[in-house]
This record gives sequence, structure tokens and C-alpha cells, in this order.
Amino acid sequence: MKQANNNEVDLLLRALARERTSAAWQSGSESGDAKQVSSAHLDADEMNSYAEGVAPDPARTRYTEHLVDCEACRGIVVSLVQSAGTASRLEVPEQKGGAGFWQKLRELFSPTVLGYAVPVLLLTAVIGIGLLALRQQQRVQFVAQNEQRQAEAPSAAQNKADSGVSTAAQPQPTVQNGIKSGATTERPREKTALEDEKLQAGRGLLKPDSSVGKIAPSKDGQPAEVDSVAGLRPYALEPKAAEAPPPATVINPEKSAELAKQRSEKREDQSRDQNEEFRVQTDDVHGPNRSRNNTAQPMSQRGAGVAGGRGPSADKNKKGAYVETRSVMGRHFTREGDAWVDTAYEYSQATVRVARGSDQFRALVADEPALRTIAAQLDGVVIVVWKNRAYRIQ
Amino acid sequence: MGGAGRLLGRATDNHGLTAETLIPRVKSAVDKYILRDDPQASADVIQDFIDKLQADDLCLIVACEQGNQKAWTDLVERFSATVRSAARSASSNEEGAEDLAQSIWAELHGLRVREDGKPAGKLAYYSGRGSLAGWLRAVVAQLAIDQHRKQSRLVQTEEDADFDRIIQHGQDESTWSGHGASPNPELQISAKLAGAQVQKALAESVKQMSAEDRLLVKLYYFDGLRLREAGAVLGVHEATASRRLTRIHGELRQQVERLLIEQEGWTQPETARAFSEVALNLEADIEPLLATEPVLMKKENEVAG
Repeated sequence: MKQANNNEVDLLLRALARERTSAAWQSGSESGDAKQVSSAHLDADEMNSYAEGVAPDPARTRYTEHLVDCEACRGIVVSLVQSAGTASRLEVPEQKGGAGFWQKLRELFSPTVLGYAVPVLLLTAVIGIGLLALRQQQRVQFVAQNEQRQAEAPSAAQNKADSGVSTAAQPQPTVQNGIKSGATTERPREKTALEDEKLQAGRGLLKPDSSVGKIAPSKDGQPAEVDSVAGLRPYALEPKAAEAPPPATVINPEKSAELAKQRSEKREDQSRDQNEEFRVQTDDVHGPNRSRNNTAQPMSQRGAGVAGGRGPSADKNKKGAYVETRSVMGRHFTREGDAWVDTAYEYSQATVRVARGSDQFRALVADEPALRTIAAQLDGVVIVVWKNRAYRIQ
Repeated sequence: MGGAGRLLGRATDNHGLTAETLIPRVKSAVDKYILRDDPQASADVIQDFIDKLQADDLCLIVACEQGNQKAWTDLVERFSATVRSAARSASSNEEGAEDLAQSIWAELHGLRVREDGKPAGKLAYYSGRGSLAGWLRAVVAQLAIDQHRKQSRLVQTEEDADFDRIIQHGQDESTWSGHGASPNPELQISAKLAGAQVQKALAESVKQMSAEDRLLVKLYYFDGLRLREAGAVLGVHEATASRRLTRIHGELRQQVERLLIEQEGWTQPETARAFSEVALNLEADIEPLLATEPVLMKKENEVAG
């Protein structure tokens, strides 16, 4: 009903405009309202300040009153506005004048808005819960893994200390423990172990001389102890099972105690590594990986690496990003995608879009020849801040 | 004095001007834009106004006015493209544009001499409030209109008469009793009268609106601008202009109804019926008018050229 009313008034206004225009032409006057103009015409300075929106409010009101009645001045102001491209500057809609807080609140909770918002919120909640559940599941797996390894470490040390016998066959029960730890965690555990190996292989941690994977030779040259990480691999069971168990080596109690101590230290390191890897994996899933490059360094260098890795030079190396910059007419530009962006440009700043070769562009570069040079020297989209205005030349 | 000093300090090139030279110009701008509307304006308002003046442009213009040849060269070099561009927009042909562009520099410099011996050019009217480029465009547009007026007085073209006939024809066709109306002569007269009264009430209602709203109506309906363009003139976004127009429609409707009820003694249902009948007649009249619009546009362009 309201729309229909508006249409009727719209049609009436159009008819009124037609009538006035034709009356103006019939009377031979250039403007149908020319006779009604009471005040003097605006001068060029006033029209320009009005068109550029820089006239103070009281003066602007006075000019508006004149422009309503004076078609000649209005025509010039319109042409000035169009050539200055003021329309493109007004990108942010003005808020409704009388809109109070309650009205805004009412609009926010209107059925139309809620109709879109509720499904979006529900979907977001479902995705969020799903992600949370996934993350919790992974954390449980890693906690179980760490607990097993921690439980294994003292028992192995105890065994060695007590018997002084190499535990070449020890990986098998450890893995079995791992398998026994729960049917539900078996498959993810396998996957985790595979990922562990891939990660470590990628970082060179599974090198023969690696401190983690080191096999301490016994007196007769046979491996006296097996890397516990390798022992934890379920898939390693099959080849191990096919091999004959290595002969037990007798070690004297002093050496045994020393070895147990070394192994305990190694396990602590290993545990730290695993925690680190857990963090890497969770980072892979949930966000940017800040420590990947650091973990690629050997343990001996890791402390220094971490400290050094956070410096600016390390960041530069880490990112490996080359920022292309150019300086034209005293302005500095950086390459961002396809665009050259003035370093003085702030992303909150509204831009005036100007297409190369357009009338607006010609008018702009005519006023500001420096912008012509900038546009000529930089290809593609150029965002330049000039006299406190941001232009997007494309 | 302090404001003029700050203005000079802000200028990249002050062209050897002193604060004393700028004071009259700054004072004139303050009088024109601030004190005329508010003689009791505070010092802060005035300072703020001065600090927003275009320092570089104003110094350049004042230096030109002082007869600084280097400043003149600078002005011509920097803005000849702007002037040519504005002249091309205001003229229908390249030759006319070139003539207009050339005459601008003479206008700026001034062909006459003031009492103090300096040329009385248009440069004296630049206040520094807006950009120099925009001001030059406005000067070009004004000059183009002046020239066009002079020529129009001399030449009354046959095309004008043709144009008037076309409009007259269009107007005759668009009377309230036109297409789609009842064949009953009594009803035709009644509808015509009702339409005329609605039209009169509407014109009166438009006059009672605020200047800003009337300007929007003028720009949109009378000048044929798009909402985006009309909004730009008013310094608001297209969406805001659209909302304003919707509000204006509502207010106009109420005002017209009130006038018809109070002055003409109509009842509420009568006003509602009159609105819908008038709208119906107008809708029926749009087609023949649209057919004449291209002709009108063509003629208008020719006349403007």
C-alpha cells in the first residue's frame, strides 16, 4: 500500500516536472525557475566549495536554497560534482538520521534478519562443536601415547638396572601395550605413528646418527638397544616378528646403570620431541606452524635455533617472502597481489576508483600530473594516497 | 595573522609571499564563508576554517595576482590540461573548446586594470576553500554559459520553435483527461479538475519542503539525474538519497491530502481515489511521452551545443 502511494506521488512529481520544463521552454526562458531566483548567483568559488563538500554548514544551506531555484548554477554544480568523481567517494551509506538505539536493536532482531542469522549461527555452532570434538579426540590419543611412553621408561630402566640384560625384544611388548591400550585408539595410533615417522623423516630425525634413533652397539657389535620410537611402531611388528630375536648380551652392572641413565635422558628428550611434534601436528590442523623450521634443527642446535629463529632475519628466512617495492614520484609502493599499494594507504580509508583512460582519470591526471606518472610507471591496479585522498587506479 | 602564517607554513612553495600579503585574502574568505552567516563565530571556528584552506593553491593564485611570472608559468603548466578538459566538456566541438580554454587565461589575468594598477582578473575570487582545479572548472563552465547566452540572444534558431512545438504536443497529449479516461464528458471534466487540484496541491507542498529535500526533488525529477548523481551533489550516498526520496514521497502525500481536505473540502476517500485515478491517467500517458523523449533529448543536445 505504502509502495503504491509512493508510486502515485512519483508519477505526479514526474508530471509536474514535465509541465514545468515545457512551460519554461514555451516562455523562452532558460530556466523555469529563473524568475523565482531571489539571491545573486553563486560565484565559481562557492559552487566549487559546494561541489567538493567543503562549504561550512550555514553557507551550504544558503547555497542549497539558491540551487533549488537556479537551474544555471545547479547545472554547473552537477557538472563539477560529476567531473570531480564525488559520487565514488561516498561509499559508506549515511546512517538514518532518526534511527535510535532501540530502532537499530529492533532492526537487528527483525524476522528478516533472524531468518538468515539463525541458520548461519546453527551451522557455525555445528562446525565449531565438530572441530572441538576432533581436537579433543586427537588430544586424548596423544595423552595416551605419552602416558604409555612415560610408563615404559622407568620400567625399562628398572629392567636394565636389575638384570643388566639388553632388551632387544622389548619393543614388541611395548607395542603390544600400545595396541592393548584400547581398540578405539588403535587405528588413529597407527596413523599417528606413520605421521610421526613422516615428520621425522622430513626433518632428518631418523638419520642413523640421530640421537633419538641411535642404536648403542654392544661389545660384540650387535645392537644392544633399539630405538624406542621404532619399537613403538605397530607396522614394524611384522618384519620384527619375522626376524630371529637378537641374542641377549650380558653387560656388567656398572655399564648397565650408566646405560640406563643415558637411556632415561634420551627418553626425556624423546618425550620432549613428541610433545613438540604433537604441537606441530595440532598446529598443522588448527593453525599456522610456528615451530616447524625450528624442529628441523638438530637437538644440539635447537636451543640456539629457537632463540635465533624468532629474530627478524630468521623470520625473513622462514617466510622466504620477497616484498616487491617501488618508489615513484616520492611515493613508496609495495606489491600486493596484482596491485601496487602506497605504503601510506590505510585499509580503512575509502578509495576513489578511477579507470585508466576514463574522463575521470583524464581530469584527475590533468589536476595532478604526478598521478599520471605514477599510473604510467606502475602497471595494473595502483592504490595511491594523494593529498589525503586514496585513489584506486585500475 | 597567526592563521596566515600557519597557512604559509603549510604551503610546499609559498612563492616568496609573506603573511601580510595573504591576510586580505584570508580575511575575505572568512567573511564570505563564516562571518556572513554567523557574525559571532568563535575564534576556534575561524582558525579551523583557515587551517582547512588549500595552502599551495592559494599561495600560487596570490603569487600570480601579485604578478609573479614564475607562478604564472607554474599555473599554466599545471592546470592547462584541466582547463582544456573542462572546456571540452562545456563545448560541443574542439574548436570552441580551444577558444574557450584560451579565453580563460585572459579572464583569469584580467583585461582591465584596478585602481591599484593591478589587473582585475578572476583570480581575486579564489578563496582557497575548494581545490584550484575545481574552481577553474567552475570558471570555465560559467564562461561557457555566458558565451552561450550571448550567442542565444543573437540567434533564435528554427530548431527552438520546432522544439517548442514538440513539447506543446507532448503537453497536450499528457493532459489529465487523456488516454484511458472515461468517454463520459462529465467524468472527463471531473477528472481533469481533480487532477488539476491535486497538481496544484502538490506544487504547493513541494514549496513547503526543506531546501535540501526540494533540491533532491529538483535534481531527480526536473534535471533527470540518477539517484547516485543526485546524492553526490547533496554529499550523501545513493542509498541515503533513496531513503530520503521515499520519505519525501510519504510526506508529500500526507501534505497534499491535508491541503485537499482543508482547502478544497475533499474527504479522505476522495483524495485517495483522486490519487489513484490521476496515477492511472499518468501511467497511460507515459507511452506517448516516452516516444517524444528521444526527440527532446536530441533537440536539447543541439541547443546546448
